Amino acid sequence: MTEMFSTMFGQNEAQGPPGSAALGFGSGKQPQSQASQPGQMPTQIGDEGPILRKPGASNEPFYLLRDLPVGNELTGNSNLITHYNLEHAYNKFCGKKVKEKLSNFLPELPGMIDCPGTQDGSSLRSLIDKPPVCGNSFSPLTGALLTGFRLHTGPLPEQYRLMHIQPPKKKSKHKHKHHRLQDPLPQETPSDSDPKKKKKKRDDDPDRKKKKKDKKKKKNRHSPDHPGLTGSQPNSSSLR
Amino acid sequence: MAEKFDNLEEHLEKFIENIRQLGIIVSDFQPSSQAGLNQKLNFMISGLQDVEKCRQQLHEINVPLEVFEYIDQGRNPQLYTKECLERALARNEQVKGKIDTMTKFKSLLISELSKVFPEDMAKYKVMRAEDPPS
Repeated sequence: MTEMFSTMFGQNEAQGPPGSAALGFGSGKQPQSQASQPGQMPTQIGDEGPILRKPGASNEPFYLLRDLPVGNELTGNSNLITHYNLEHAYNKFCGKKVKEKLSNFLPELPGMIDCPGTQDGSSLRSLIDKPPVCGNSFSPLTGALLTGFRLHTGPLPEQYRLMHIQPPKKKSKHKHKHHRLQDPLPQETPSDSDPKKKKKKRDDDPDRKKKKKDKKKKKNRHSPDHPGLTGSQPNSSSLR
Repeated sequence: MAEKFDNLEEHLEKFIENIRQLGIIVSDFQPSSQAGLNQKLNFMISGLQDVEKCRQQLHEINVPLEVFEYIDQGRNPQLYTKECLERALARNEQVKGKIDTMTKFKSLLISELSKVFPEDMAKYKVMRAEDPPS
């Protein structure tokens, strides 16, 4: 390092004061002396940026003036979507409304695919976390192995019927209130899990309780033992 | 490229249809359905063999893990593509704004410095004109 600086500035000492030569503000002859000595280009200290200019008269009055960086053709200044020919894709996905559910992407897939995969253990994440055992070849089942697949006759229990069930359609709110009192309870389906039944019962119960209370209050008002009874009431036979 | 996906898609559709029919047989099983059930089970195994053969053609395909999260949540994976494009565009606009701001700042700075140090800035402009970007 010191040898490099001494070779660069060694011939310049006779020309000017050593301080100015060390700082790089020497006479105009310095670049010639430096050019005549090949292999003495200043090496870059680390890889922090572009190569530092040789301190010399050509850079006067500027100190440590760096070269301009290489101008890339592709920067954020240009529209990268048109550059990579993604306009069609952008219009397709961002121009139109993309439907939220997975069943809109895979309409022909049977079963309830819009439910989260963690609920029934069918998540892809679990497949990545616990990959299945691979390497064994798939061989068809022989007669002896097929004996394990002899099933009992009759329908499956309802809790295992999952394949053909569609998600329940949402009813509109204003209709729901009318049908609540008039229609009987909906038929049981396996898609209606127990918590939903319990929620319905819970929702009904407070209403039932309120109605019962109201009825009781009305009965108590009209009963002869009620303290608040007045003579104006036609049902009070005791006063007559 | 598209042919590999079409091939795999076809095998998967057949496999899923086979499984669905298997489910129908099992949902209300009769003794006469045993032969059909055995056949469907072997079709299932041959379907898995076909899917495994397709795997070799698609080993270079990379799928981002974020798409799996969308699928696991029951959401359309096209929403991931949509959000990627929107984020890319937003970032592009942000960087363009920065570039434009820095360009304006540079021109303002040069003009103001030229007012204060006219000779030095003239030298600077000459030097920059002499040395193009390396």
